[in-house]
Amino acid sequence: MNCPDCQDKLDRYLDRELTNTEALEIQLHLEGCPDCNDQYEFQAHLKRLVKHSCDCDAAPPAFREKLRQILT
Amino acid sequence: MADTSPARTAFAEEALTHLDTLYRGALRLTRDPDLAQDLVQEAYLRALRYQHSYQAGTNMKAWLFAIMRNLFWDRFKGARKDDVSLDDVGDFVLYEKLRDDGAKPEADVLDRIAASEVVTAVEKLPPLHREVVLLVDVEGFSYKDAAQALGVPIGTVMSRLHRARQQLQRSLYDYAVESGIVRGSAQSAPQQ
Repeated sequence: MNCPDCQDKLDRYLDRELTNTEALEIQLHLEGCPDCNDQYEFQAHLKRLVKHSCDCDAAPPAFREKLRQILT
Repeated sequence: MADTSPARTAFAEEALTHLDTLYRGALRLTRDPDLAQDLVQEAYLRALRYQHSYQAGTNMKAWLFAIMRNLFWDRFKGARKDDVSLDDVGDFVLYEKLRDDGAKPEADVLDRIAASEVVTAVEKLPPLHREVVLLVDVEGFSYKDAAQALGVPIGTVMSRLHRARQQLQRSLYDYAVESGIVRGSAQSAPQQ
C-alpha cells in the first residue's frame, strides 16, 4: 500500500465500504504515514461535523400527527 | 375514503418510523419547511398507493427516500435542466490550505465552524450531489442503499460523493477565511 493507493480508497474506508482485508491494509498504512493519517482524521472529522449539523431537524410533532391521521 | 385495513395501517406505521429521515432530506432539498412538509406528505400518500411494489424485507427507508426525491425532481426540477454537475477539482481545499499553513492538527479548525455554516455549505451543493451527502453522511446509508434510493450505479454515488466533499471543503474554506478563522492565502482558492 502506497500513498496514492491509500488516497484512492480513503472515501470508502471512511464510509466503511471496504472489505476487512482492504480496511486492514489502509489501517496499517495510516499507522505508518502521518500525512495520510492527518488527511483521514480531517475527513472523518468533517463527516461527523456534517452529520451533526444536518441531522438535528426532526419532523415537527404536529406534522407527524397529521400524517398519521391521514395515513392510518 | 381511505383504506383503514390492518395491513395498510401496519405499513403506514412502519413507514412513519422513517419520517425524520424523509423530512430532513426534503428540508435540505427544498430549503423550505412548508415545501418539505408538502413533499413528504405527497411521498407518503404515493408510497401507500404503491405499497404493493415494496418488497418486504428490503430497505424501506431507501424505498421511501426514492419516492420522495423522485417527486422533488418532478415537481421542482422539471427535466433537471438547471442542475449542474461538479467537476473533480482534484483537491480538498480546506485541508490542503491548513496543511500548507502548518496548522496542526488541521481538524481543530473544524471545531470553530458553526453548524449553521455547515448546513449552508451543504445546501449550496447542486441537488444531485447534495442528496448523496444527505444519504451517506447524514443518514448513514451504505453506497448500495444510496444507489438504490437514487436509481444510479454505486460508482456514480462514489464519484458524486467525492466531488461533493471537495466542494464542501471549498465552501467551508471560503467561510473560514471570510470569518477570520483562517488566514486567506494571497492567492484565493481556485474557482471552477
